[in-house]
Amino acid sequence: MNELISYLTALADDELVLGHRDSEWTGYAPILEEDIAFSNIAQDELGHSLALYTLAEGLGAPSPDTMAFERSWKQFTCCRFVQYPKGDFAYTVMRQFLFDSAEHVRMKSLASSSYEPLRDCSAKIFAEEAYHLMHTRALVERLGDATEESHKRMKAAATAAFPQALGMFEESEGADTLVKQKIIIPNNLLKEEWLSAVVPILEGASLTVDSQSPSDDGGRRNNHTEHLRQLVADLQQVYQMAPGGSW
Amino acid sequence: MSDTQWETYEVFHQSRRGKPHEHVGSVHAPDPAMALQMARDQFARRLECVSLWVVKSKDVTQTDYQDPNFFSRMFDKSYRDPKAFDAPAKEKE
Repeated sequence: MNELISYLTALADDELVLGHRDSEWTGYAPILEEDIAFSNIAQDELGHSLALYTLAEGLGAPSPDTMAFERSWKQFTCCRFVQYPKGDFAYTVMRQFLFDSAEHVRMKSLASSSYEPLRDCSAKIFAEEAYHLMHTRALVERLGDATEESHKRMKAAATAAFPQALGMFEESEGADTLVKQKIIIPNNLLKEEWLSAVVPILEGASLTVDSQSPSDDGGRRNNHTEHLRQLVADLQQVYQMAPGGSW
Repeated sequence: MSDTQWETYEVFHQSRRGKPHEHVGSVHAPDPAMALQMARDQFARRLECVSLWVVKSKDVTQTDYQDPNFFSRMFDKSYRDPKAFDAPAKEKE
């Protein structure tokens, strides 16, 4: 079922790449407690990617290790949003908030998927993402208008991240087949729900965004930024020293 | 020069209902709601936990170790000690 494999792989790629970006803060975050929180979030995202790659493997895709450590960066189908560098902490918080909000609506919608394994998997991911969202939303609401500097940084983060975030809703190859079979609902419906959730929260934190921004699409068609090349090289470096070896 | 660090909160962790909350450490946080989240990441990820309490460190009123009189027992009053029965640390659920 190739369309479903493509769909699951795209979501798994998003989680893997964003989890990797989050992990880049370990040891470097501005606050000890946030260092721990983002390390926690990173581990959870990697766990989600493993669960999704495993679902795809059940349908005939290569193993999760093969998907993560042996594909070329050009074969990944993550959105462009998750591959951008971690930036300052404001950008990381904003990106994670926008991503967590999207996961929230997507995983909730998958609770009524006609494909049972995906219903089960999404319920577990939903429970963990709820905690991430609680955390990042709390940070956005506080940092958005706390001080002049926090507002300036959060405003810049929102301006940069919002059009990038819209790229999360680019459809995978064959998505309309999955919609017809009621395995998923269309991304444009998810996007509407996402917008109605995030825009009021951002505005409540004195951060305005343009819902009509052009979307940073291309990731689902393997049209990536150069950042992904370096990211995948870093991610695969140790594995590639001894491919297939046991650790 | 003012300290720009967040306030600290003392964290108490309950591993199972019926057991007492135990002090496990402290977290820095900007407010109580975030202190609970920080406490979960620091003290409840790897341990079984059903409840967390956070209390601002400055709200903890404590005795002074240097005070020799607060706990002093000058005369033998062992007849008062609860030796006749077991006082269990946990209640039945």
